[in-house]
Amino acid sequence: MLRFIVGRVVGLAPVLCAAIVATFIATRLLPGDPVAVMLSDHSADVQMAARLRAEYGLDKPLPEQFVRYIGDILTGDFGLSFRYVHMPVWQVLKDSLLISPLLALAALALALPVGALAGVQAAAHRNRFQDTAIIVVLVAGLSLPNFAIATFLVYLISVKLNLLPVAGWGTFRQAILPVVILAIPSAAYIARLTRTFMLEVMQQDFVRTARAKGLTNRLVIYRHAFRNTLVPLITSAGIIFGGLLSNTVVVETIFNIPGLGRLAIDSIFARDYPVAMAVVMLFVVFFALINLIVDTLYALVDPRVRDGAPA
Amino acid sequence: MTAIDVSVAPPPSRPRFWRVFLRQRSAVIGGAIVLIVAIVALLSPWLAPHPYDATDLVNVWAPPDSVNWLGTDKLGRDILSRLIVGARTSLVVALSVLAITFLFGVTLGMVAGYFGGRVEAAIMRTADVTLAFPEVVFAILIAAMLGPGVSTIIIALALVWWPGVARLARSLVIVQKEELYVDAAILAGASPWHILRVHLLPNIVAPLIVRASVGVGFIIMAEATLSFLGLGVQEPTPSWGGMIRDGLPALRTDPMLACAGSAVLGVTIIGFNLLGDGLRDALDPRLHRS
Amino acid sequence: MSGALSGWRRALTSARVLALAAALSGGAGFVLSPAMAKTFRVNVVADPAQMDPITYSEIVAGRILRNMYEGFTVITDDGRNVPALAEKWEPLTTGPGFRFHLRKGVKFHSGRPFTARDVKYTYEALLKPGGKGGLNATYLNIIVGAKELKDGQATELAGVKIVDDYTIELSFTKPDVLFPIYPIYYMDSGIVAELGADWMTKASAGTGPYKFKQWRRGVSVDLDANTSYWGGAPKIDGVSFMIVPNADTALSQYDAGELDFVDVYAAAVRRVLRDERYAKELIRVPRAQSTYLGMNQNLYAPFKDKRVREAISLSIDRNAMIRGLYGGAAFPLNGVVTPGMPGFNPNLPELKFDPERAKKLMAEAGYPGGKGLPPVDISSTEAFKDEITYYANQFNRVLGMPVNVKTVERATFIRAMNAGEVAFFPWGWTADYTDAAYYLSQMWYGPSPYNRPRWKNAEYDKLIDEALTVADDDKRYALYHKAEKVLLDDWGMAPVPMTASVALRKPNVKNVTLTPFGFSLFSKIEID
Repeated sequence: MLRFIVGRVVGLAPVLCAAIVATFIATRLLPGDPVAVMLSDHSADVQMAARLRAEYGLDKPLPEQFVRYIGDILTGDFGLSFRYVHMPVWQVLKDSLLISPLLALAALALALPVGALAGVQAAAHRNRFQDTAIIVVLVAGLSLPNFAIATFLVYLISVKLNLLPVAGWGTFRQAILPVVILAIPSAAYIARLTRTFMLEVMQQDFVRTARAKGLTNRLVIYRHAFRNTLVPLITSAGIIFGGLLSNTVVVETIFNIPGLGRLAIDSIFARDYPVAMAVVMLFVVFFALINLIVDTLYALVDPRVRDGAPA
Repeated sequence: MTAIDVSVAPPPSRPRFWRVFLRQRSAVIGGAIVLIVAIVALLSPWLAPHPYDATDLVNVWAPPDSVNWLGTDKLGRDILSRLIVGARTSLVVALSVLAITFLFGVTLGMVAGYFGGRVEAAIMRTADVTLAFPEVVFAILIAAMLGPGVSTIIIALALVWWPGVARLARSLVIVQKEELYVDAAILAGASPWHILRVHLLPNIVAPLIVRASVGVGFIIMAEATLSFLGLGVQEPTPSWGGMIRDGLPALRTDPMLACAGSAVLGVTIIGFNLLGDGLRDALDPRLHRS
Repeated sequence: MSGALSGWRRALTSARVLALAAALSGGAGFVLSPAMAKTFRVNVVADPAQMDPITYSEIVAGRILRNMYEGFTVITDDGRNVPALAEKWEPLTTGPGFRFHLRKGVKFHSGRPFTARDVKYTYEALLKPGGKGGLNATYLNIIVGAKELKDGQATELAGVKIVDDYTIELSFTKPDVLFPIYPIYYMDSGIVAELGADWMTKASAGTGPYKFKQWRRGVSVDLDANTSYWGGAPKIDGVSFMIVPNADTALSQYDAGELDFVDVYAAAVRRVLRDERYAKELIRVPRAQSTYLGMNQNLYAPFKDKRVREAISLSIDRNAMIRGLYGGAAFPLNGVVTPGMPGFNPNLPELKFDPERAKKLMAEAGYPGGKGLPPVDISSTEAFKDEITYYANQFNRVLGMPVNVKTVERATFIRAMNAGEVAFFPWGWTADYTDAAYYLSQMWYGPSPYNRPRWKNAEYDKLIDEALTVADDDKRYALYHKAEKVLLDDWGMAPVPMTASVALRKPNVKNVTLTPFGFSLFSKIEID
């Protein structure tokens, strides 16, 4: 087991390295000069521009910049932000660091039980009214873009009914709408998966055997069938969480939440290379961690994976 | 997206497929929606009642009337015309992304699966690096690099999607290449490319089609999201995501733009999703109970 | 129901509780200051990029810094310059320059007194290499010794002479009558020794009515009242600049009572102007921003012909833009200098919308119906997207001109503009100090690097050179009018409507408003 985990981590390393290089190149290839952004309307001052360029090391050739950057990272120095003068990158990040994963986790915690329940209900009453109704809601939840759903909900709940605050972050009430919006597509996805897996499982022999033994329908469904869908659900959790992380970007923009997602967009647009790199790498690392955990869980359950069958 | 089970059997026979497919109401509805959207997109220059870029500042945010059936937007342009042309934008982007992704993804995936070894490692590692980035962030980075525009979105989305397709193709080929007919072909002296193209491809096409149809909905949604974030199609070309973006600030006083855009976007994506589900159910033999 | 499912359920429930608990406790740290203290809450569109007066170079930072730092003079709400840290000044007799007599008894937020030494320190901090001197550094280039200090050849600013604690003499390389009104913020020379190089993250080093309390990135910048302010302690306890990028959100927060004063961004202006509820709380002023449509003659041959330039200007339906595009939140601009700015000419003729004459002129210039006109891009940043879409369509329709819309990312665009590489673009230049020279000498003067359309006219330049040596206001303004007329007669650019600043203010809030230059001073705010 340990060998499996170590093996995975080792396999991760080259991917992460490649990701760092790719992100570095991508940020440097962003059109537009960060010095011009810093100087804004006064960017005709060539002397000031040259000074800034030298200070931030932007006048060195790219490979040299890269090497210095890696060296700095290894000592824990992520550099100074370009946009917020004098501010170290970690300081810009630290306030946002907890927010996005927290949002995603809360959404997942909401989506899993809701989705699983809906999926079970749909499977249990296949092709009858509950099933169709749930499927309709599911498909809508997966198909409508979250920014559209968000606006309607904000309009309805915050403006017309005045039940919840419009935006911001800090109180529990402010967190409700963003978490719900985030959870909707995940819940729909989970519900659909659950329904599909339950339907498959319910066809299998052992379920028919249980039915033949005379156990009541409900017991049969919940106990035997659902248990078998747990494994695929867990593995899908990785995909879902990754999707959630991505979705926080849009939700944070709409609700004015100072999280990593919004920071990613803002820093890329503002050509704030150090912050953009740090945020993107953070996302990558989070992502990789989640996948590692999911793979480990999967390996725990399914020995074939552990021993190296084709993925 | 079914990344779990990749077992395949030959797809069900043609008449069987249609029977199963048509039996599902949702799939038929989905197909109908897709058909309508496609026709609208194709015929958009003739269907649009007004030019989509004709500004009329005297008539901004007009409510629906006999001239502008859905009213006008912030520059006085006809919303209905822009929705119609927007269909073309969405479908062009979606189909382009699909074409590029599948061309490269399937080819690379099949090559990786069949030849194995270093070739496979190289291709799959590249895919892994791409997959290490969360989709939206990756798309934003690329879109920011290339500047706003249709080609940017197509490239960005294609780069995000190809690894998933490649992985699927590779897994399918890995399973299929153990089959007898492949051995027979090799014995008969067929070249690897011949085997890939003539023998393997038809046998793995079913799950790929499913993947494609399910993917289109997401691609359209992704394009709308990028447009919503400001990275999308340039003015004056209409795009549904861009229209929603313009319409949201005016939601309280002039909701038509945001509502119409969201409705059309939502229905289209629903259509593609339903169609995809229907195709999957019809093509996947495991769900056919005899 | 037992076994795996309930175990799963239990795990999920605890996870959910944990998650929410974590969110709550994490969130507790972010809760706004309690409503018992009287804090004036207003919105800004983004985090400021700087929090110190040396590197300061952008608008949001400026709005915040203005309350903590002061210069020799300050702009009143009605656009006049009155003494602030300098009580009076006179020109030097030995050469170009000024002698300033500083206000006595002024203390910095640290408690240290403001003296001439701090003025010299500020100038040197702005100019020295490695200091990242921002906007305010550009005003100092005219001081003797500035170049040597910037190049690193000197360590002190030669042209500054400290006569005594409250008298300072500045020598210039050439005359600049406007120096006293440049908004250069002075800072405490002792702050770095006290708090280190990152002092600006901990405290402010100014003399203003408010001092720095904290900056929660993405959330707010909070200032406390400076009770020992020389102009009188503020009547409120502090100011909070809430960081709200979205127009709709800001308005909703105002509605919900989370903001006392809301700066209404462009996207929400239309809604506000049409809503009866806001009528009594509405403030609308023209922005001190000279807006124009630039035509670079070097990059698009047809622009060389004056008739083409006039035709373009005549094709713009400015009234329709004000009513339709801006929902009424705009003002007509017939020249360069904006209303409310000293040097403004109220007698300029109104610019007409005359498509017939425009078509005639185009035909006379050799392009009947647009035939023969090569395609051209009209470009700008995202902020002007609607304008360029309108212009492109309009010029296409009226003149037959093949215009393409191009939205360019901001940093790239600004650099391209400054390099004179953009052919056809709308832009707005916001004034930093209250004199028309700000527009006339920065935007249209030949050698100015900010003359982005590269329009050049020797007569204009001569008039500007002359005006900058004239101390008498009225005489100087007369020269401004003449120069402006030269520019307009030559159709050097097409003036376009200026957007208005729109804000809403709660009825219980007094003594704060909008001015063409931004927020008014906050020193006298009262909240009932």
